[in-house]
Amino acid sequence: MTNNKFLRKELLFPIFSSLLALFFVAGCQKQPDLLFGSTFTDQGKGANIILVDTNTVVMSTVLVDSTATSGTGYLQVGSYNDDYLGNITSRAYWQVNPPGNLPTLDPRSTTYDSIGLVLFAKTGNPYYGDTTVYQRYVVNQIDTLYQEANGQFGWYSHDSLPLGPDLGSATVRIFPNLNTLLNLSNTSQGTGDTVRIPMDKALGQQLYNMIYNKSDTITNPTKWQNWFHGLCLSPGGSGNGSNVANLIYGFKDSAIMRIYYRQNAVISSGAYIDFPIGNKGFQFNNVITHYGGNGGYQNKPVDSLVRPTRNPQIPPATVSSRTNHVSFVQSIGGLNVKLSFPYITSIALRADYIGLLRASLIVRPVPGSFSTTWRLPPAVGIFSTDQNNLPLAAIPAAGLAGAQTGALLLDYFHPLNTEYTYDVTGFIKQALLNSSPNALQTGVYLTIPSPANTGAFNRLIIADQSYPVDQRITLNVYYISLYPHQ
Amino acid sequence: MVPTRIKISLLLSLLTVTSLGVMAQNNFSPYSQFGIGDVEDGFYNRTTGLGNTGIAYRSNRYLINNNPASFSALANQYFSMEMGIRGSFIQYSGSPVTPASTQSGDITFRRLVMGIKVTKNWGSSIGLVPFSTQNYEFNVPYYLQGTANEVANNYYQGHGSVNKAYWANSYEFFHHVSLGVDAGYIFGQLNQKNIIQNLSNGASETSTQTNVNLQNLYMTYGLQVYSNLGKHWSFVLGGVYSQKADLLASPQTVVLASDSSTLQNEQLAERYLTLPNAYGAGLSLTHNEKYTWVADYRYQDWGSLHQNTYQGQGYAIASSERASLGFEISKKRIFYNQRVEMNFIQTGLYYGNSYLQINGKQIKDRGVTFGFGANSLKSPLAYNIVFQYGIKGTTANNLIRENYANVTFILNYGSIWYTKGKKFD
Repeated sequence: MTNNKFLRKELLFPIFSSLLALFFVAGCQKQPDLLFGSTFTDQGKGANIILVDTNTVVMSTVLVDSTATSGTGYLQVGSYNDDYLGNITSRAYWQVNPPGNLPTLDPRSTTYDSIGLVLFAKTGNPYYGDTTVYQRYVVNQIDTLYQEANGQFGWYSHDSLPLGPDLGSATVRIFPNLNTLLNLSNTSQGTGDTVRIPMDKALGQQLYNMIYNKSDTITNPTKWQNWFHGLCLSPGGSGNGSNVANLIYGFKDSAIMRIYYRQNAVISSGAYIDFPIGNKGFQFNNVITHYGGNGGYQNKPVDSLVRPTRNPQIPPATVSSRTNHVSFVQSIGGLNVKLSFPYITSIALRADYIGLLRASLIVRPVPGSFSTTWRLPPAVGIFSTDQNNLPLAAIPAAGLAGAQTGALLLDYFHPLNTEYTYDVTGFIKQALLNSSPNALQTGVYLTIPSPANTGAFNRLIIADQSYPVDQRITLNVYYISLYPHQ
Repeated sequence: MVPTRIKISLLLSLLTVTSLGVMAQNNFSPYSQFGIGDVEDGFYNRTTGLGNTGIAYRSNRYLINNNPASFSALANQYFSMEMGIRGSFIQYSGSPVTPASTQSGDITFRRLVMGIKVTKNWGSSIGLVPFSTQNYEFNVPYYLQGTANEVANNYYQGHGSVNKAYWANSYEFFHHVSLGVDAGYIFGQLNQKNIIQNLSNGASETSTQTNVNLQNLYMTYGLQVYSNLGKHWSFVLGGVYSQKADLLASPQTVVLASDSSTLQNEQLAERYLTLPNAYGAGLSLTHNEKYTWVADYRYQDWGSLHQNTYQGQGYAIASSERASLGFEISKKRIFYNQRVEMNFIQTGLYYGNSYLQINGKQIKDRGVTFGFGANSLKSPLAYNIVFQYGIKGTTANNLIRENYANVTFILNYGSIWYTKGKKFD
C-alpha cells in the first residue's frame, strides 16, 4: 500500500475554508483614522467656499399709517417714553352691552351702592415696559356713535373716538408674571387677578333706575347703543408728560362694567349687575405715536421718518442714514424694515463664482437699545418685498417649509452676541440672477408676525452698516469658488 | 459537449469577475496619494514566495511575469492559467495615526493571466495585472476663505487603480537563450475627491471630483541565459528592461453642490505622466532540480524625470530600487520517466526604496515571505499559498509606518492543448 504524502483533495476544503474566513475577517475591518496628507494637498485645485460678508445692505424703515388693532383679545392701555421711538400711548375702546337678564329691583329691599369697571389682569397677559411703577387708569364714556364710517372696514390703530368727561380712575400696580393660583393677587389692589376702577356714582344710579324701570333704553340694544356708546380706558397722564408710567398693559377683553347694590333682609347681602363688553370685533386699541413729527417733534430718530400723507399710498421708506443710522421694527406702531442689496449681483460676476452655497442675514439690535424692561420681539418675520414696500411671500429657510422668525439669540449679559439670524439662500439665489429693472427695489421685509404684530409693543432697533462690524446688520453670502484652470 | 478544460477556464474567469465585485473595502495606503499611487512590485505568481525574486526564474508550468523571456520555458503545448488573490492586514503607526483606529484589512484580486507554449520554442502569455493603486482618505480642518473663525472639514479621498493588460512572447534560441517582449497597455483611472463638509452635521457643502484617465503602451524586454553547470547544478541569468513611457493623463473635474447638482464639469488639458526606464538583473542557481537560490536587483530611474511630471507639493520623486533573495525546495517524483513536481516550499527576503521621498525620507519597504505550493495529481490544478510580512515607511519625520501581513493565494490551472492526439514528445 502506498502512502501518498502529497496534497490530497480532502485538504482543499480546509484550505479554502480558512481562506474564506480570512477574507471575511478582512472585509469587516474598520479603516484606520489617519491624519496624514494635509501638508501635501494642493487646496487650490478643487472648489472652495468663500464667504463674502461685506455686502452692502441698504436699510430703510417703512412707516405704515396704521395697523388693524380690533379684536385682538386685549385692551392695551398705557404709555411709555422710548429712547428711540419717543412717547407711545395706547387706549382701548369698546362697546358695552346691557345686562342680558335684568334683575327685579324693589326699592323696599334693594339699594343702589356704586358702579365700577372690572378689568382682568390674568397671568400671561401682554405687557411692555416697567412693571415696578404704579399706573393710573382713567375711564371715559365715548361721546359719539360707535360705528364705522362710510368706507371704513374695521378699526385701526390710528382710529379714535371723542370722549366725554372722566368717569373714574384708579392707580394700581400690576405684577404680570405672578401666578394668581399661588398668590392671592397680582395687583396692588389685592383683588385677585382683577383691577377695579370706581366710576361715577350718578351714572350708576341712572343705570340702576333704568333697570328698575325696565327702561327700553336698557332692553332695546339699538337704543342702548345710541345712548351708551361705549367706554374708553386710557392711561392717566398720557401724552408727552414726564408723569408717564412707562408701561402698557393688556387686560383681557372680558372687561365688565358692574353696578353694585344691596339686598336688604335680616342679613344684608351684596349683589351686582354686569354690563359685559359688546361686540369684541369692535373693540380696538388706539395707538398714539409721534413718528415723523406727527403730533410734535421729540428730538428722536423717528422724527425723520417719512409719513404717509394720503390713503391709499405706498408706505414710504426712510433710509437709515436719515434716522441716526438705525431702523425700527414695531409693527403695531406701523414700523417695519425693508432691506435691499444693491450690489449683490456682482458676486455672480466674479471669475471664480460657480454657485451659491448659502446666504444668511444677521440682524443685530443696537447695543443698549434693549433690556429686560424694553424687550426685543421674540420673533421677527422675514418676507420678500418689492417697490410697493409691502410684505409678499414669507422667505423659508433652504430646504424647509414655513416662515422664519429669526431664531433670536438673546444675551443680556453680552448684548453684542444678541442677534436674529435668517437663512436667505433662496432669496439671494434669485437676487443674484435678477436682471429686472425693479431688482434694486426688491429686498426683504422685516416685520412682526401675527398675532404679535397687532398685540405687542416689543420693538427692535437695528444698527445699519455704519456701526462696527460686530454690531451691524450683515449679509453673509457663501459661494462656491473654482478658479478657471490654466 | 463542452470540453472540461473550457469549463474550468470559464469557471476561473467567473471567479475572477466575482472576486472583483466583492472587493468593496481596500486598505488605506497613505502614500498612495502621491504620484500615480503605490506602484505594484509583487507578481502574485510562483515567485511571490521567493520575495518576488524571479528575473532569472523559469518554470514549465507557472507563468513568471517577472521576465517575459520566461514563457519559453513552458512545457510544450501546455496551456496555463493563473489567478492571484491577496488578503492583507496592515497595522499603522506614527504620529498621524489616531490611536483608536490603527488597523485595516482587505482582500483584493491581483492577477489573471494565461499562457501557452505555441510552438516548441515560442511561449506566449496574455493577462491583466495591477500596475499601481491609489486608496487614501483623510480630513483636514478648513477655514472658509473670507473668515478667520468659520471652519469646515476638508475630506480628501482618493481611489483608483492603474492596470496593465499585456501580451508577452518569448522565443528560445540555441536551447540556452530566451528573449521576451511584453507589450503592455497601461490603463486605469485615479479618482480624487475633495469634499468640504459642514462640521456640525457632516453634510457635504461642495465636492470636487477629479478623474484622471491614464493610458499608453508600456514595453518590457527580457533576456534569460541558462545552462547546466556539471551534473548537479544549473543556472539562469536574467535581465529585464522596461522602456520609458509617457502615460496620457486626461483629467476631468466635476464640482457638485450640496444638493448634488452639477456646478461645473470641466475636461482639463491633457498631460503626460512619465514612467521611467527600468532595469533589472537576476541570477538563479539550482541544485539537483531541487534546491534553487534566486537573487534580483531592480532599478527604476524616477530621478531622471522632471519633477513637474507629478503635480503636488511637499514631496519629491527619487529613483527606486529593490533587491531580493529567495530559496526554494521543490519535491519531484518520476512518473513514466518524467520528473513531476509534487510540491514546493519557498522563502524570500526583500528590501527596497520606493520612488517617493516625503518629508526628506525615501519610503522604504522590506520584508520576508514564506510560500508553499502543491500540484494536484488528480486534477489540472495547482495551488500556491504565500505568507508575507513586511514593513513599509517609517515613523520618523512625522511619517507613517505600515506593518503588513499578506496572505496570497495563487490558483493555477494547466493542461495540454492542441496535441492533435499526441500527448507527449
